[in-house]
Amino acid sequence: MKQLDCEDVKRNVHEYLHSAMVESEIEVITAHIANCDSCEQHYDIEVVFNQVIQRSCDEAPTEELAERVIRRLREAQDHD
Amino acid sequence: MSGDKSEKLVTFEQQALPLMPQLYGAALRWTRNPSDAEDLVQETFAKAFGAWDKFQQGTNLKAWLFRIMTNTHINLYNKRNKDKAKTALDDLEDWQVGSGESVTSSTNRSAELEALDNLPANIIREAMDQIPDEFRMVVYYAVVEGLPYAEIAEVMDTPVGTVMSRLHRGKKLLRTLLQDYARQEGYDVSEKEES
Repeated sequence: MKQLDCEDVKRNVHEYLHSAMVESEIEVITAHIANCDSCEQHYDIEVVFNQVIQRSCDEAPTEELAERVIRRLREAQDHD
Repeated sequence: MSGDKSEKLVTFEQQALPLMPQLYGAALRWTRNPSDAEDLVQETFAKAFGAWDKFQQGTNLKAWLFRIMTNTHINLYNKRNKDKAKTALDDLEDWQVGSGESVTSSTNRSAELEALDNLPANIIREAMDQIPDEFRMVVYYAVVEGLPYAEIAEVMDTPVGTVMSRLHRGKKLLRTLLQDYARQEGYDVSEKEES
């Protein structure tokens, strides 16, 4: 695979973190960020950013919703 | 209400209902409030139950339900115009979409890291809710649900290329909003050119 410069590496951050790349591309980028502080930091920020988004979206439904849905499905079944 | 559960209802309850937390999470991002999210989850399950015969066992049930949720949300709120899911933001050039990934100095980047990590969850959610639906949902499915691009494309009924560009742009927009917030909170995340 062709040599990547920092700009290419940074542009591919989401595909890399999302494993939306082929193995050989992943290897090239892994090697690059191991030797490049600037790109490594860029990737670190995206990793933390993803964790922060995951954390903030962790909201559970109420018990009541489960009951409502089950009632609704029962009704649907009875009208079948 | 009759007593017996049909076999169809039994299998549906066993397979689909355990996915309620994931559906609720996605519904919250679509609707941006708990009460509408509950309605959307309920409608989605009702529609899915109606279409249960069409679900192919062995394929990804969660993605199937998310797809039904997309359609249900669009029907409920009559969003999306004729040229489906295409927004003005898709037509902008990359440089026009926020400065979230522009070059900042290392000091500022570690300040940004610290700021990001300390931002309260409700601020992150508010920022998410400010970006356009189609971008927010792609970010959500990719980052929180970890769906592969191809599945997000199916769930959102868009080409894979659109998923990629919306993920990039959505996160860029989000990051710009959060940088603004962090700056107001006194973090030194101002954009400075690296020399």
